[in-house]
Amino acid sequence: MGGPVAGVATRARTSVVDFALIGHQESWRAAADVIAVLRGPERIPLPDDEIKDILPWIPPRAVCHVDIGSIIGAKARGLYIDSFIPPDRLEAAYVHENIARVRKAAACAIKAGAKIVSLGGFSSILIEGNFDQLPKKNDTVFTTGNTLTVAFIVQGIQKMCALEGRNLQRSTLLIVGATGDVGSGCARCLAPLARRVLLSARNVERLRRLAAELEADGVQVEIATDLERFSVEADVVICAASLASSSLLLGRIAPDAIVCDAGYPKNLSPTAEMLDAKVFFGGLGQITGGMKFTPDFHGVLNRHPFPDVVHGCLLEGMALALEQRLEAFSQGRGFITQDRVVEMETIAARHGIYLAPLYNADGPLGDGLDASWNGRQDESVGERPSQTVESSF
Amino acid sequence: MEPLIDVKASLTECASLSASAPIWQDILAQAMTGEVLAAMNYASLSEICDDPAEVADALEHAEGERGHAASFAAEGRKIGVDVANNVDAKHWKRLREAFLRCIAERDFIGCLIVQEIMLESFAVASYSRVGRVAPGSLGETFARIAAEEEDHVDHAMSILRAERARDAQRFDDKVYRLHLEVMTTLAQMLAKECKDGHCEVCHASCVKPSLFDVRLSAAELRGASLQQYLKTLDMLGIPGEVTLTWVAQLPV
Repeated sequence: MGGPVAGVATRARTSVVDFALIGHQESWRAAADVIAVLRGPERIPLPDDEIKDILPWIPPRAVCHVDIGSIIGAKARGLYIDSFIPPDRLEAAYVHENIARVRKAAACAIKAGAKIVSLGGFSSILIEGNFDQLPKKNDTVFTTGNTLTVAFIVQGIQKMCALEGRNLQRSTLLIVGATGDVGSGCARCLAPLARRVLLSARNVERLRRLAAELEADGVQVEIATDLERFSVEADVVICAASLASSSLLLGRIAPDAIVCDAGYPKNLSPTAEMLDAKVFFGGLGQITGGMKFTPDFHGVLNRHPFPDVVHGCLLEGMALALEQRLEAFSQGRGFITQDRVVEMETIAARHGIYLAPLYNADGPLGDGLDASWNGRQDESVGERPSQTVESSF
Repeated sequence: MEPLIDVKASLTECASLSASAPIWQDILAQAMTGEVLAAMNYASLSEICDDPAEVADALEHAEGERGHAASFAAEGRKIGVDVANNVDAKHWKRLREAFLRCIAERDFIGCLIVQEIMLESFAVASYSRVGRVAPGSLGETFARIAAEEEDHVDHAMSILRAERARDAQRFDDKVYRLHLEVMTTLAQMLAKECKDGHCEVCHASCVKPSLFDVRLSAAELRGASLQQYLKTLDMLGIPGEVTLTWVAQLPV
């Protein structure tokens, strides 16, 4: 029992930490699986009520080492740091507590000497407008990872349109959560390609500013804080913010609309009312040069139906580490442009980080395009290890 | 013989606590047992110290812990209960035995790890939580003693950090070995329910189910104690992913 533990301890002292990934578990099931790996196969898993009692008390800390490779031979070594935000405390009521947890996780990354840190999922949402709240950085840079997330959402939409034989130029694009960092980045990249754009968010002033920016480029834009107020149906939808319920989209989108669930956590699935909609999870990439966890959290931290699939936000830090380009590529809100997206996806592709095969809550989408998409041979297509929507990676 | 009810305690304080007095009695008994055991541990430690300054330090700590035990006993008298201690109760006895094994090996560092890192983490965290909810002087006493115990930890920390700097692997292995012994026992003590029978400290049935009546819970005391332990290990510099595994493997 002491062997592997001591092994990790030794390694922690001698390893260079190129990157750190800050995340948390999206569900109690996922948290239970992480604890089960830590306990080891010889101990019985903890009951759910014990996990719910114990997890909120765990201070943010490293959970495992992550080794990644690039298709051009570069290697990088990193740490996955869990903020241990309890899965049932993601709401606004806990925002200050959760920012404090992300700050502590960031402090762990700095203490470990990480050169670049990606803020995963909800951590990124919490911090994108609060970068000044991160601890003193020294030689560690932080990125929200949102630029690569946007790149994969955009690529996913384009791929899905190709699969479905849709022409984006004849489509009405709806972006829900349009004024956030990811939503506005998607708008800047895709609005010029669509016939008409519908932007929805809670803050009407920000909506007006974004609309004015897009209209200046000749885009036809409609804005609303309430989806029911739009004058037309959308046939391509990006949910950059989690919807309370997919039924909110009903009646506002075409029956066979393409719907990209890019929110966090992902909670859209084809329902009885949306049977003809083409729903897929957006913002996910796949690292093809290899990814190894120590201890082995494979399939536990990255719970996707395909191997080595990771959220774009985390992959951005990995790509920058492999590129040895240690800069805060994505920071703040509203700075993601088409040029920056192209630059980031080029860096990622150079190291074999591509759009992940498309899937949704029902599993992989049989698309037949993966083998040639991004100009690569995708050997992972056909593997079906699991079907889940909960992943901290 | 001292009166059971302290004549200086306010009548209001006694009245307000009368309903929950049996619960506080058991909480105080656990705390007092811990303090008496700590006093015994420091007295034993003084016997293996070579440096006269260290001997004096250990004896001073022993005296301080005896003072804490007396304070808890006094708080019991204020609310009209007799606070007993039982260092031979099964869990506490095992903790004492673990410490005495370090003494037998003349392992000064091992003694500090057991007492200052493990037992004091538990004391600091649980006293702090009790201090927040206990009324009047009872709460003040728990909070004051929690702060004093924290000072002990700070004192030991510099010695332990210096020791770890000499040979981190050896140091971490020692902490892990002691963790398996001591923290396993503490985890059993802190479990939400006493699954293996009476703890031999509570004066009647187990106090844990009644803690809700005084705005505490066994789960909260355990959570706070494990959190304090992890933070203390972080301060020592032991990698977080390693200590996370240690704690995850404890019994519940």
